Amino acid sequence: MEEIGVGFRKELVSKLLHLHFKDDKTKVSGDALQLTAELLKIFVVEAAIRSVRQAQAEDLAQVDVEQLEKVLPQLLLDF
Amino acid sequence: MMEEEKGAEEQQRFSYQQRLKAAVHYTVGHLCEEVASDKEMQFSKQTIAAISEVTFQQCENFARDLEMFARHAKRSTINTEDVKLLARRSNSLLKYITEKNEDIAQFNLERKAKKKKKLEDENKNSVEPAEAGVVESEN
Repeated sequence: MEEIGVGFRKELVSKLLHLHFKDDKTKVSGDALQLTAELLKIFVVEAAIRSVRQAQAEDLAQVDVEQLEKVLPQLLLDF
Repeated sequence: MMEEEKGAEEQQRFSYQQRLKAAVHYTVGHLCEEVASDKEMQFSKQTIAAISEVTFQQCENFARDLEMFARHAKRSTINTEDVKLLARRSNSLLKYITEKNEDIAQFNLERKAKKKKKLEDENKNSVEPAEAGVVESEN
């Protein structure tokens, strides 16, 4: 599976991070925002792809929450 | 009086979070669409919503960790080294993120070089001799 076009915008990533900072003075560099956006993208793509593999293994026509639930524990351990 | 203010503040934070969640959901939806067409397998709406929810929650972990990593290094600005630490649990993930970081750095370097060249060209073409400084725009 090659290059995925869409991704998380820097502004959105910035807001998501700042929502949870404890210290007002904490800032994020531009490069770090871009890299975090990449990390989030891969998180979503992994969740999606692993769920698809699970659905394929179960011979299903579509991916449902049950498949996601099965792959979630390992996904969270990997991140 | 204090109670009312606290209530209003919480309400605001809640609706702000809802807006952010919606924005995350939008991007997650697009990403899932790309995976779906590549793998020729559909996602139920509930699945996309669930991935979106988990992603939003994961951001809280990322944010807290990043803030702590920077503080541990006695910095108040989070940098790419901190983000790479987030990817430490999986070797393939760490490798992927490290490569992405190099791509980003390279891309930004080339963009700055192009801007600098453009400024230099514009200076050469102007009638008055211009100042030699390069303007540092964004961070």
